[in-house]
Amino acid sequence: MSSITSAPVTTNTAMADFNRTTSRWGQITMIGGLLISIAGPLYLVFASGLDIGPAQLWIAFAAVAATFGIIWIVEPLTYFPILGPAAMYQAFMIGNISNKLLPAALIAQTNIGAKPGSKRAELAAVVAICGAAAVHLISLAIFVGLLGSWLISVIPPSVLLVTRLYVLPTVLGAVLVQAIVSMKQPRTTVFALLVSAVVVFVVVPLVPSLAMVSTAIAVLGTILLAWFFRGKTQITEAKPIHIE
Amino acid sequence: MYQPLALQSLALQPFAANGSTDILSIANNPVLWICVAGVFGVIIIQSLIFMKAARRAAPSVDMSAQDIKTSFRSGAVSAIGPSLAVSLVAIALLGLFGAPAVLSRIGLIGSAAYDVSAAGIAAGSMGAKLGDASYTQSVFAVAFFAMSIGGAMWMLATLILTPLLRKGDAKIRSVNPAAMAIVPAAALIGAFSCLGLTELPKSGIHVLSFLVSAAVMGMCLMLAKKLGKSWLREWGLGFSIVIGLGAAYFAAAPAVGA
Repeated sequence: MSSITSAPVTTNTAMADFNRTTSRWGQITMIGGLLISIAGPLYLVFASGLDIGPAQLWIAFAAVAATFGIIWIVEPLTYFPILGPAAMYQAFMIGNISNKLLPAALIAQTNIGAKPGSKRAELAAVVAICGAAAVHLISLAIFVGLLGSWLISVIPPSVLLVTRLYVLPTVLGAVLVQAIVSMKQPRTTVFALLVSAVVVFVVVPLVPSLAMVSTAIAVLGTILLAWFFRGKTQITEAKPIHIE
Repeated sequence: MYQPLALQSLALQPFAANGSTDILSIANNPVLWICVAGVFGVIIIQSLIFMKAARRAAPSVDMSAQDIKTSFRSGAVSAIGPSLAVSLVAIALLGLFGAPAVLSRIGLIGSAAYDVSAAGIAAGSMGAKLGDASYTQSVFAVAFFAMSIGGAMWMLATLILTPLLRKGDAKIRSVNPAAMAIVPAAALIGAFSCLGLTELPKSGIHVLSFLVSAAVMGMCLMLAKKLGKSWLREWGLGFSIVIGLGAAYFAAAPAVGA
């Protein structure tokens, strides 16, 4: 994947200004986004009459962190060389990096004939992501906000019920296949399925109190097996491992 | 495994022991809508500032105003397809999480795959299951928190790592490349496998929707590769969800009073 970072700024004061502005405002807006995004759920938990203690939140956080903590750290590391510092603040706020923002940046760079790694390429990426973000927000507002809300109000309750009951297995089935195919690690896949089958069909029925940490156990088991039984050929230059 | 009785009782909306199961009333809390506006606002502000900064720096790197316009337009146009595909998936999640939560989660970092997984894990940590009779308002609130805290962690990692990485990416090169390739993949495939398999014992329709969705995704990916149609990869998740839910609907129709 062509890189869109540029070499360290030398005497170009305009680019130095750009770096300073994007660095400062990137951090400010990202901190703002971070705070707003957890303000909503925290309000629900503590101020809307539900009886939930902070301990419950810590438990949920720990369970999610045990599974995805690695990804939270690895994804920024792997995307930084490709995105560059300014676009990092855009990408990790908006998300949809691999399917929306990255293609947007690359297409823009091609269309203006920017050389990969040049400053033109870096600016093109930032501007392209702004364009993609605009379409992203508008489409969400129209199709999910307006159309979606209307749909929910007119579809028969039976359909809504089916959606609520079965969207989880539906999403997971598709996402599992997608992950297996895109990561191209057959050995890891086999280990993951084996460990998960053992956890879900043997361990949890025997020790029901472990149901809460079943995913963490499966993740840990898979990592250990995949690491200790890694073949030499598995260490290929793969695409960044990502779910964004 | 097929449990028509459980569905019938759900259709009658029983009052669960630890809270109301009327998710949508709490999910549409005005405060959440304000937060959506805030999230959208922050993204807009960031984009405006970055656009202005890019425009100001452009002449110094031989980038014309036309180049800026072309870049913006290219980015926007190329985002149309993926945005529609993501909107389809988001609509499917509306019944489970309500519009404000879906808008803030899909609007910000956190793909559908992550959100659904995190919500499932959070529900499990409360001894509940997402979507069925144990899915109370409290479970929704904690699930929404879990989804959001993950997004927040991504942002925190970015805030911490970006300035460090700017100073010189010698640090990443020192991390074992095998570890970077194997460990995250193992974590993701392990997590999705476990979450997926956990769904299977719940009912025959769970198995059906899981398998149908997996099959549709597999087919989309295979066709995308064989026919070279990359849009199939984009739309794969949306198609899988819709067709999987369709299969579930027809299988469950007698029990949900359709």
